[in-house]
Amino acid sequence: MANIFPRGSNILPLKIILCLAVIGTATTAGFAYYFTNKYTNVGYQPTQPVPFPHDIHVKQVGMDCRYCHSAVEVAAHSNIPTTQVCMNCHGQVQKDSPKLQAVRDSWQTGKPIEWVQIHKTPDYAYFNHSAHVNRGVSCVSCHGQINEMPVVYHAKPLSMDWCLECHRHPEDALRPLSEITNLDWKPTPKSGQSVADAQQEIGLALKTKGNINPPDSNCAGCHR
Amino acid sequence: MSKRVLQHPPEDSTGKKYWRSLGQVADTPEFRGWLEHEFPRGASEFEGGEVSRRNFLQLMGASMALAGLSFAGCRRPEKHLVPFTRGTEWSIPGKALFFTSSMPSRGGALPLVITTHDGRPTKIEGNPLHAASKGATDTYAQASILDLYDPDRSRTFRNQNGASDSAGFEKGLDEVINGAGDGTGLVFLLEQNSAPTRDRLRAAIEAKFPKAIWAQYEPLGGTDAGIYANGLQAVPLLDKADVIMSLDCDFLGSESTVEQTRQFTSRRKPEAEGGMNRLYAVENRFTLTGGMAEHRLRVPASLIGAFTLALATEIAARTKDPVLSTLVKDLPTGTATFDPAWVKESAVDLIEHKGRSLVLAGSRQPGAVHAMVAAINSALGNFGKTLVGRAGAKPAATISAVKKAIDDGIAKTLVIIGGNPVYNAPSDLDWGNLQKDFRDNKKGVVIRVSQHEDETAQLSTWHAPLAHYLESWGDGYATDGSYLSGQPMILPLFGAWSELDVLAKFAGLSKPAGPELIQETFRQIAKPADFTVAWATFLHDGFLANTAAKPEQLAVAASATAYAQENFTTPAFNSETFEIVFVPDSKLDDGRYANNGWLQELPDPITKLSWDNAALISPASARKWSVGTGDIIEIRSQGRSIRVPLFVAPGHADASLSISLGYGRDFPGRVGGKDETGKSAGFNVYPLVTTSQPYFLVGAEVQKTNDKYAFAVTQEHNTLEGRGAEFVREGTLEDYKKKPDFAKTMGMDAHAKWKMENGKKVEVVNESLYSHPPLTNIHQWGMTVDLSTCTGCSACMIACQSENNIPIVGKAQVQNGREMHWIRTDRYFASFDDETNDPEMVYEPMLCQHCENAPCETVCPVNATVHSDDGLNVMAYNRCIGTRYCANNCPFKVRRFNFFDYNQRKIEDKGLYAWNLTAPKGTEETIKMQKNPNVTVRMRGVMEKCTFCVQRIQEAKIAAKVSARDTDQIRVPADAFTVACAQACPNDAITFGDISNPESSVSKVRAGERGYRLLEYLNVSTRVWYLARIRNPNMKMPGAEKIGAYSRGSGHGGGHEHGGAEHGGHQVTAEHTEA
Repeated sequence: MANIFPRGSNILPLKIILCLAVIGTATTAGFAYYFTNKYTNVGYQPTQPVPFPHDIHVKQVGMDCRYCHSAVEVAAHSNIPTTQVCMNCHGQVQKDSPKLQAVRDSWQTGKPIEWVQIHKTPDYAYFNHSAHVNRGVSCVSCHGQINEMPVVYHAKPLSMDWCLECHRHPEDALRPLSEITNLDWKPTPKSGQSVADAQQEIGLALKTKGNINPPDSNCAGCHR
Repeated sequence: MSKRVLQHPPEDSTGKKYWRSLGQVADTPEFRGWLEHEFPRGASEFEGGEVSRRNFLQLMGASMALAGLSFAGCRRPEKHLVPFTRGTEWSIPGKALFFTSSMPSRGGALPLVITTHDGRPTKIEGNPLHAASKGATDTYAQASILDLYDPDRSRTFRNQNGASDSAGFEKGLDEVINGAGDGTGLVFLLEQNSAPTRDRLRAAIEAKFPKAIWAQYEPLGGTDAGIYANGLQAVPLLDKADVIMSLDCDFLGSESTVEQTRQFTSRRKPEAEGGMNRLYAVENRFTLTGGMAEHRLRVPASLIGAFTLALATEIAARTKDPVLSTLVKDLPTGTATFDPAWVKESAVDLIEHKGRSLVLAGSRQPGAVHAMVAAINSALGNFGKTLVGRAGAKPAATISAVKKAIDDGIAKTLVIIGGNPVYNAPSDLDWGNLQKDFRDNKKGVVIRVSQHEDETAQLSTWHAPLAHYLESWGDGYATDGSYLSGQPMILPLFGAWSELDVLAKFAGLSKPAGPELIQETFRQIAKPADFTVAWATFLHDGFLANTAAKPEQLAVAASATAYAQENFTTPAFNSETFEIVFVPDSKLDDGRYANNGWLQELPDPITKLSWDNAALISPASARKWSVGTGDIIEIRSQGRSIRVPLFVAPGHADASLSISLGYGRDFPGRVGGKDETGKSAGFNVYPLVTTSQPYFLVGAEVQKTNDKYAFAVTQEHNTLEGRGAEFVREGTLEDYKKKPDFAKTMGMDAHAKWKMENGKKVEVVNESLYSHPPLTNIHQWGMTVDLSTCTGCSACMIACQSENNIPIVGKAQVQNGREMHWIRTDRYFASFDDETNDPEMVYEPMLCQHCENAPCETVCPVNATVHSDDGLNVMAYNRCIGTRYCANNCPFKVRRFNFFDYNQRKIEDKGLYAWNLTAPKGTEETIKMQKNPNVTVRMRGVMEKCTFCVQRIQEAKIAAKVSARDTDQIRVPADAFTVACAQACPNDAITFGDISNPESSVSKVRAGERGYRLLEYLNVSTRVWYLARIRNPNMKMPGAEKIGAYSRGSGHGGGHEHGGAEHGGHQVTAEHTEA
C-alpha cells in the first residue's frame, strides 16, 4: 500500500508547533504592547529644555494653573506660556539662576523655547479643554497631580476607552467650579460616608444641575 | 436560488422627464454603466496606472516585511510645543480670529470676513453687516483663498539679466521714475478697479507725469458707449422689478454680483413680499439666468441685436414712445425672424408692468444694443424705479491706445500690473510679438508685476511678484457704492509688492510700510472728527457706514439715438455655418483662476464639464453635421485657427458655438498650465478674439477633423435611478396658490403615506426594521433647500471644499467618477417627449441627507458610520476600513471614497499611482496652511461625506456649554451659526439649524407648505427638506403650458391622492403601474 501521507508530512507537527509559537508570541507581544500603559505612554517623562518644577510653583509659590495656562477656559488648546510670562517673575526672581538660562536666551533672541510634548491626543480626536474645565472637570482628572510633580510625566492613559469611562460616568469626576484648579481637592464625606460615595453624591448633583451629558456614543463629539 | 432583484418603479413614461444628460435620454451603455454601479467599471479597480492588481499584492507583501523591520516606526516621535516668545494681542492658540476685508473685482469689491487660525487665513465668508453681501459670497471669493497659497505663485524678483530682489526692483523702479521727465512714454496698463486709493494715486501720477498714458484692459469688460446722459452708468434694482427680460445678460452667472443675485432671488419665492417676479431670457446658450427663466428663447448671440430691435419695435408701436420710435425707425431688421407671439406677448407683459419691469442687455453686446435697451427701459418708465444711475468711473485709455503708443514709438516704459495681455489681448493686436519687439528692438522697459511668472512676465524687463489681496492693504467700492476697507491677513508670503506699492513709487511716495495710503484716503472720504476711533470702526465693520451711492436720475443721452442709428448692424447670419461666441468661463473667468484647483475641478454649472472647456453645440446642429461630444473641430478666421472639441449642449441655439475663455494657458502652473506632455487644461480661444469682434465671431470657417478628445464630465456621475422627477418637484404659481402643499403628494409620495389596515386607510408612521440610537439630544440638526431660489451657481460646493479640507483629484480621477465634492449641484434638464433641443433646467443641491433610518449605517461592518443623538449621520474616519458598502447602499450617492492619498500625493497621475515606498510623499507647505485645523485631513482608503459641518456644530455646542458653566442653559441659541454651504449661498436657498428649536429659521422654513423630503416612501426619514420649485409663467406665451408643468402633465401629483392602498402601501414593487 502506498503511503497516504507524503514523506514531507513527517515534519508537519513541527511546522504547526512553530507556527503556533510564532502566533502565540506575536499575540502575547501585541497584548503586552498595545493593551498596557506602555502603549498609552503612561510614565513618559522627557527632559524639558527648562527644568520647570510644577510643585515649587504651585505648592510653594501658590500659583494658579491659569496664570500660565491662561487660555484653558476659553480655547480647545491649553496654551503653554510664552517666554514673556516666565519673565514676568523671573525678570526679578532668580534672575541669575543657571537653570533659567534657556528662558533668558529665548527672551533676548526672540527664539521660542521648544518644550517637549507629553500629553498628546491623535490628530483625529478633538479634545477641548474649555468644555471640560468650565463644566466641572478638574485638571487633575486627566493630568494627575501635576502640583506634586517636580518633572511632569504622563499620568493617565488618555486612551479612547479611558475617555469614554468618564464620559459614561461623569459623576466620578465632577466637582464644584471653584475647585477645578485645586488639584488637592477631595469631597468632604459626611459621617460614615466614604470619599468615593461623597464624590458620587456631589457628582450626581452637579450632573443634574448642569444637565451634563457628555457624548458617550456620538462619535462626532470628538471625531470630526 | 437566484438573487432577488428589487427594481425601483420606473419613471412615468408619460409626462415630463427630468434627465441629466443626452446619454440618459438615449439610454446609452455608458449611462447604464454609471447608473448601475456606485462606482463605474474600472473606477474601483487599480487600472490605468503603473501598478496592476497583482503587482499591488506583491508590493503589499514586500512593504509588510519592510514595516516589520523598521522598529523605529513604532516609537512615538518626540514633538515639541513652541509657544510665542512674546504674547500677541488677541491671539489665543487654536482659536480662530475673524477680520473684515474685501475682494477687489471689476464689478465692485465684495465685503468679506476672513477666518484666520494662528495667523493663517483659512476661510472666506461674506460680511454679514454689509448689504452687498449679507454674509454671502460667490465661487471666486470662496476659491480665492487657495490662490493665496498657490505654490506656483511667483516668488522671485527678476530682471532680464537674472534674479534680483525687492531692493533691486525698487532701484530699477527709481531709475525709470527719475528718467520719466513729464511722463512722455510712460504707459500704465492695469486691470479695471474702482478703488479710491488707486484713483488717488492715479491723480497724483497724472499730476506728476501729465503725459503718461493710463490704460485699463479687461478681456471680459463691457462696452461703454456713453448711452446715459452725464456719463452715468445704469444700475438695475432687481428686487423692484416684477417682470425682467434678459437679452443675453447672464446677471445670475458670469455677469452677476452677490448683491444682484440676492436682489433677484429675494423675489423668487412665491411667499416673497411684492409677489414673485417673472423672468424672460433670450440667449444662445444655457446660462444660470436662462435656467431660472420662465420663458427662454434660443437666439444666436449675433442676432440678439435683431431680436432687441423686434422687441423695441413692438414696444414702440404699443407705447408710442417718441424716443424709442425715432431710434428704431429705419433700422435694418435683417433676415432673421423670431416667433411673433413670443415677441408680442413678452412686450405686452413688460408694458403691463410699466415702472416695475426691467430689460437688461448682456454687457458684451454692442453699444447699439445697449442704446436700444436704454430707450426701451425709458419707454417702459423704468428709470428711477427699477433702473437708477450712478456716476461712472473715470475713463481710461484702451489697450489699443497702448499698442498705438508703442507702434508710434512714443512708449518707453510699459508698466503692466495684473491682467495678462500676452495671453488674453485681442489677437489682432498680436500683443506677444508687440511686447517682445518693444522690449528687445525698441529698447523699451516692460515692468511686469504679477502673481505668476505668466505669459506676459516671460516677455518683460522686470518681473516682480504681485501680492494677493489678502496680503496687502487696499480699499474699494462695493457694488452698492459704499466704501470698503481691505485689510491684509498675512504678510506677503513671498515678499510680493501690491499694486498700490508700485503706484505709490510712481506717485513720488515711498513704498508704504502699513496702511498709511489707505488711511489718507479714509481721511479724505470720511473726514472723521476722531480719526483713531473712526479708523478702528472702519476696519472692524469692514466698511464706512452710510456711504452707499445715492441713486441719480437716468436719462438716455441725446447722442444715443444717433449712435444706435449709426452703429446698429445685423450681422449676416447664415444658418448653414456657425457663429462663434466667446463666453466668460464660469470657473476661470477670463483665465485668471487657471491655476486654482478647486475651480478647475468644479464642474461647470451647466455642462458639468470639469478641467476643460469645449465648443458647445446644439443637439440639432450636432445631428445635422453628424458630430458628437468629443469630436475635435478646427475653427479658422483671418489666418488664425484653433482646434477645440465639441460638446453637445441641450438648450443651445442652433448654428452657434459657445466656447469659454480662459483655458489652454502656456505658463508653467502645475494645475492649469502645461504639464510634461505640453498639454494644459482646456483650449485657448483667445486667438480668435479680435478688437472688432470681441464677443461673437461671424463668418469663421468651421471644419470637422477625425480627432477625438476625452472630457471629464460629471453629469452622469451619481445618477439616481431615473428618479429625477421624484427628486425635483416643481409647479407653477397657480398650482401653488390652489394647493400650496402640492409637492408633498407628488410622485410616489401620493401612495407612500397611507396603507390599508382592516379596510381603513391609515397613515404610515416611522416603521423601521432596524433600531437606532434614540434622538434624545436637545439639539436636532436639519436643513432646508429652496429649489425656487437656487440658481445653481455652485458657491456652496467651493465653500464646502474650503471649509472641510476636501482634496482635488485631477482630471483622470474625475473621469473615473472619483470627484470628492461633499455637496454637488445636480443639474436636471426637463422636457416632454424626449425633447432635447429646448428643455428647461432645474438645479438640486445634493448632499448627505442625514437619514434618520440611514441605509448606509446598517451595512457598515465596523460601525464607522453611525447615528448621533442629535440626528447626524456621522463618520468616524479612524474606524473606516474602506469596504465602501455604505456608498453602495446610499440612495443619494453622496458618499465619497479616498481612492488615493490625495493630500499626500500630487494629483498628476504618476504621483497618485506610484507606489508608496517610491513616490515622494507630502504636500506643499503653502497648501497645508490653508487647511481647516478643526477638520481631519482624510487619508487613503477612507470614506467621507457631508458632516453638516460637525466642527461648527461642536464649536457652537461647546461655546454654549462654556457660557453655561455649571447651569443647565446649554442650548445653542437659534441661528447662532450655520454651515459653510448655507453661509456662502447668495440666494438664501440653504437654511441650517436646530429643528427642535421653534425659534430657528430652519424650523420656520421647514414648516412652510412647499417642503417635501426625498424618498419618503422608503422611510429613510431624511433631515433635509427641499422646498418645491415654483415658476411663474405667462400663460399667454407660446409653450407656457409646459413650464413647471409636471404636476399637470402627468397622472401623479398635483393633489392626486387616490391613495396607495391598491398598490399595497409604500412597498417597492416592480409591477408598479399607474391607473
